[in-house]
Amino acid sequence: MTVSITLDFSLRQGDFALDIQEQVEARVVALFGPSGSGKTTVLESIAGLRSPERGVIRIGNRTLYDADGGVDVPPHERHIGYVPQDLALFPHMNVTRNILYGANAAHDVGSAAALEQVLSLLELWPLLERGVGDLSGGERQRVAIARALTTSPLLLLLDEPLTALDSGLRARILPYLERIRDELATPIVYVSHDEAEIRAMADWVVELELGRATRSGPWQGDS
Amino acid sequence: MTGDALAIAWRTVSLAALATLVMLPPGIALAWVLARRQFPGRAVLETVISLPLVMPPVATGLMLIWVFGRRGPVGGPLSQLGIDVMFTWRAVVLAGAVMGLPLLVRATRAGFEQVDRRYEEIAGTLGASPRRVFLTISLPLAKRGVLAGALLGFSRALGEFGATIMVAGALPSTRTIAVAIYSYTETGQQAAATTMLAVSASIAFGALLLSNRLAAGS
Amino acid sequence: MRLSAPLSVLAVLSLTACGCAPDPGPGVLIVSAASSLTTVVEPLAEAFERDTGITVELNLAASSTLASQLLAGAPVDVFISADHIQMDRVAAAGLLRPATRTVLLSNQLVVVTPLEPPVLPATSPDVLVSFERIAIADPFAVPAGVYTRAYLESVGLWRRLEDKLVPTRSVRAALVTVESGAVDAGLVYRTDALSSDKVTQVYAVPVADGPEIAYPAAVTAASSDPAASERLLAYLSGSGASASFESAGFIMPKARR
Repeated sequence: MTVSITLDFSLRQGDFALDIQEQVEARVVALFGPSGSGKTTVLESIAGLRSPERGVIRIGNRTLYDADGGVDVPPHERHIGYVPQDLALFPHMNVTRNILYGANAAHDVGSAAALEQVLSLLELWPLLERGVGDLSGGERQRVAIARALTTSPLLLLLDEPLTALDSGLRARILPYLERIRDELATPIVYVSHDEAEIRAMADWVVELELGRATRSGPWQGDS
Repeated sequence: MTGDALAIAWRTVSLAALATLVMLPPGIALAWVLARRQFPGRAVLETVISLPLVMPPVATGLMLIWVFGRRGPVGGPLSQLGIDVMFTWRAVVLAGAVMGLPLLVRATRAGFEQVDRRYEEIAGTLGASPRRVFLTISLPLAKRGVLAGALLGFSRALGEFGATIMVAGALPSTRTIAVAIYSYTETGQQAAATTMLAVSASIAFGALLLSNRLAAGS
Repeated sequence: MRLSAPLSVLAVLSLTACGCAPDPGPGVLIVSAASSLTTVVEPLAEAFERDTGITVELNLAASSTLASQLLAGAPVDVFISADHIQMDRVAAAGLLRPATRTVLLSNQLVVVTPLEPPVLPATSPDVLVSFERIAIADPFAVPAGVYTRAYLESVGLWRRLEDKLVPTRSVRAALVTVESGAVDAGLVYRTDALSSDKVTQVYAVPVADGPEIAYPAAVTAASSDPAASERLLAYLSGSGASASFESAGFIMPKARR
């Protein structure tokens, strides 16, 4: 399922200036670029953890941020699932409670069924009783993704989900992500600096460099 | 005499416990606000909270009398309702809570400041309201600081003297360990004073042991 | 360790605390009395309780503390001060029943020394000059100290002794300091000297030479039970009480106000 994403805003932080004007309709939008180019900042702005200085952020027909209209929806009302690069699994909760954290707040009818689907999709059933400190890198990644999905988000933000994993693990987790894209029909904004991942996942790529988009379009292959 | 000493000891410990319960909600709230929020007058708030730490306890006691005495802005209306604060167990709790609060706030605030804001942010993106974030993320992760603060507040309330003797008087019915030691020494009852001293030292010892175990373990 | 565990402990402990003791009210008299009166007043209060069934709660502390508490609205029925200055503070605020004010007791200043080294009795206050360190109650804040300073000034010894004086928080503390041997001598009340077996009385300031020490007593204006309070004052002024006071070393006042 595609979603229309409008990102038209500027944000300044110290010496770094982000200026983006994109209007995209896609299933998976990839943000591609070297570190320091502003990819994470874009994600955090969409999630509501950073406030731009001017502009508009729209997902579908929902306006999350509109400087002129005085709109700045707080993060807990945006219904956006965010898996940060550091995962931020809650250390004082086990796997189950981490995953269910968003489910409690969502109050969706049919969320039980959705939850089961996510747990199966990411093969988390054997891990449910574990503490988050007892997980391998790949397991942690999957738990973090599941946690974000249990809120039945309208959009999923993944910040370099495979970067910290070794190539064998990457090869094993990437199919999960593809499944999420295909079976859950959740639109995704996917940050990576790896072309292979983007080739597998994305149908639209925005290339960022030093806070500006240098290219934006459907995935073109090697260039 | 030992029966008396035990009664005084039990009274002191239970009233200090009550004082701790009383100081916890405002203490945690203040610690949270100081740890997380910027606002005008923040420095003033910090200073006011620290006053009982810096002022002589007797001075704090005087201020408490001005507010909670029968002619005070709070004590007056309370007295109309038939509730007396001064010279009752309520004064002991009040003095303990006021003197312990600054210590509670300091330790708890440090606890909150050590909680990675990242967890709070991510909890927000998962749909948790600020209140839910506080209760399910911030507070549990700051647990060690809160416990340390509560223990410090409790210990302070336990040993409180200067403000207590002002507001609660040296009445036999409100006498705490500290006040009892003072009264006995003033009246030359050395044996009784020594007994209370031993009781006081034992309780302090126990509290410190517990505090160290809490700090080391968990 | 969960937060709920210590919280529960605290809660259980506190539950036993509430209602520990009954609040002051009718049938209970709160008497603020100077701590130097403790050893005598406590048994007298108990005797009064037995005779009349009226409960007496004694609040014993330094007179200045007691006065401060009263000025701030403490629910006290009777105030017995160690000097007129503190009583006057309270009277000035209109917190006493003036007609009930009376002088209960007087006292005598004496010079005491530790048991060791033994010191011969003296015939004049000049013996003080021979000591290195002399303990007295704070000469500016505590009634006993104020009386002492007035006396020393009247006999021209204040300037000479000023640097040797070790002020203490109360006259009782001065006595204890002498007992411990940390000072060579102290100026305390005769009642204090008599109550201790660890000091030697070296010189008693003749009552005629000394300051007019007075322990005024009065019923407060806000007393919850004025009738019972006056009854207590009358009891303390009566012959039975006087006998107790005198055997402790107090002097009966020369005239009643």
